[in-house]
Amino acid sequence: MLRTDEIQINIGPQHPSTHGVFRMLANLDGEVVTKVESKVGYLHRGMEKLAESRTYPQFIPYTDRLDYLAAIAANIGYVQTVEKLMGVEIPERAEYLRVIFFELQRIASHLIAAGTNSSDLGGMTPFLYAMADRERILDMFEMTIGGRLTVNLPRIGGIIEPPEEFWPALKKFVDDLPGMIDEFNGIITGNEIFQARTKGVGVLSKELAEGLSITGPVLRASGVKWDVRKNAPYGIYDRFDFEVPTGENGDCFDRFVVRLREMEESGKIIRQAMRDIPEGPTFAKVAKVVKPPVGEIFHRVEGVRGEIAYYVVSDGSTKPYRLRLRGGSFINIQMLHHVVPGWKFADLIAILASLDIVLPECDR
Amino acid sequence: MFGKGLIKGLGITGKHLFNRKVTEFYPEQKPVLPPRTRSSMYLDVPKCTACGICANTCPNNVITITSGKDENNKRVLTGYTMDTGRCLFCGLCTEACPSKALHTTTEFENAVYVKDELLWDMMKKYKADASKQEEGKDNG
Repeated sequence: MLRTDEIQINIGPQHPSTHGVFRMLANLDGEVVTKVESKVGYLHRGMEKLAESRTYPQFIPYTDRLDYLAAIAANIGYVQTVEKLMGVEIPERAEYLRVIFFELQRIASHLIAAGTNSSDLGGMTPFLYAMADRERILDMFEMTIGGRLTVNLPRIGGIIEPPEEFWPALKKFVDDLPGMIDEFNGIITGNEIFQARTKGVGVLSKELAEGLSITGPVLRASGVKWDVRKNAPYGIYDRFDFEVPTGENGDCFDRFVVRLREMEESGKIIRQAMRDIPEGPTFAKVAKVVKPPVGEIFHRVEGVRGEIAYYVVSDGSTKPYRLRLRGGSFINIQMLHHVVPGWKFADLIAILASLDIVLPECDR
Repeated sequence: MFGKGLIKGLGITGKHLFNRKVTEFYPEQKPVLPPRTRSSMYLDVPKCTACGICANTCPNNVITITSGKDENNKRVLTGYTMDTGRCLFCGLCTEACPSKALHTTTEFENAVYVKDELLWDMMKKYKADASKQEEGKDNG
C-alpha cells in the first residue's frame, strides 16, 4: 500500500465540536488518526488560588463557574465539604431539597449531553428538543433562586426554600420525563445512522477505564458499577432506591445510552424525594461569619461528569488555607490518548462528543 | 429493517412541527421573569444605613460605599457605586443587607456600549427612578 507522510492538524480551541476551548493536535495518516495530543488550560482562572483569598461563603458563586452545565453539583459538593469540616447538621427538608435540585441538574446536563452528542454527529434537531426540555428545568431554578446557569443555590447550613409554584412545575416535569426520554430513544438511539457511527467506536475497556481513574457515566458505560451515591453515600442518598445503569461494551453508543438511563433513575429519585419530603426549616443555625475549626477535610459527590471532590485545609480563619478540587472532565479527557489512535478522524469527533466534557471544569 | 428507526425519528419531528411553539419573539415580545430573578440591582436609598455589610460580603469588591455624618452626627450615605463589569450577580450582597435596602430586580437589558457605563451609580439610579415616578403621578 502506498504510504504517505503523516500530517499534523490542529483542532480548536475555537471549534463547535470541541465543546468549549479545547484544543487537540491530531496526527493523521490519510484519514486515520495515529496520535492525538490534548491541550488544555485556555480557560484557566486559578480557582484554587482564588479560593484562598475569598471567605468560605464567598467561594460558593465561584463553584458555579466550574461546570456551567451542572453548577448545582459543584455548589452542593462544596457546601457539604465545609459543613463536614464544621460538623454542621442541616435540616431534613434541606437535605431532600438538595437531592431534588441535584438530580434536576443531572437531568438538565444529560439532556445537553444527549443533544450535543447528536448535533456533533450531524443531527441538529434533537439538540433543539433537548434545549427546549432543559429550559423547563432552568425555569424552575430561576423561580427558586433567580439564576439559570450560575445558580448559587445552596448556602453553608442549608438551601433556599423554593416558592409555591415550584412544586406543580416539578411534578409536571417529572411526569413528562419518561415521554421525553422515549422521544430521545426514538429520534436518536433508534436512528440507524447514529448507531452506525457510534456502535463499536472508541471502545474504552474496563481495565483501562479503571486504570485511568475515569469516573461518571464514561466509567459506567465501560461496565464498572461505581457510583458514589451508591458506593459511598453522602447526604441522604442511602434512603433512595435507584439503579446504577452500566454499559457492556464501553463504546460511544453505550456512553450515550447510560446517560439516558441515568436520567430515568434521576426521575425516580426525584419522585421518591417529592413523596418523602418533610415540612420544616431549610436552614441550620450557622454563625454569620463562617469560621471552621483547624483541620482538613475531603469530600466527594457524584457529579454529572464524574466525581467532584474537594479537599479543604482550614487554619481556623475565615478563608480556606488551601482548597483542592477535582472535576470529572479533566481526568476523563485522558482516555482520548489511549482510545483514539487507529480510528478515523470523523470518529474522533464522535468519541469526544460521547465524553461530554466541559472545559471550565477541566481548566479550572 | 434498516431505516425503520429513521422513519420513526421523522415521525417524532413531524409531531413536533404541529406542537405549541416554544420560542419567543424577543424584543417584540418581552419575557415575564419570576420575581426572584437576579438580573439587575436596585438600591432603595432612604432605607440604606451605609453599614457596608454588602461591600464586605461581595466576593469581587464590586461595591464602593462612601458615607458622611449629618447634623445629628448620624452616618448617612453619600455615594454608592457598583462596578458591574466585575459583578457575578450572585446575590450575596442582597441577602446580607440587614435593612433590605439593596435588592435584585428583573430588569435584564443591561448591555452598554461604553465600558465606563458598567459603573452604576446607585444613588443616581434611584433619583432617576424617583423623578420618573413623580412625572408619572403628575401626568396621571
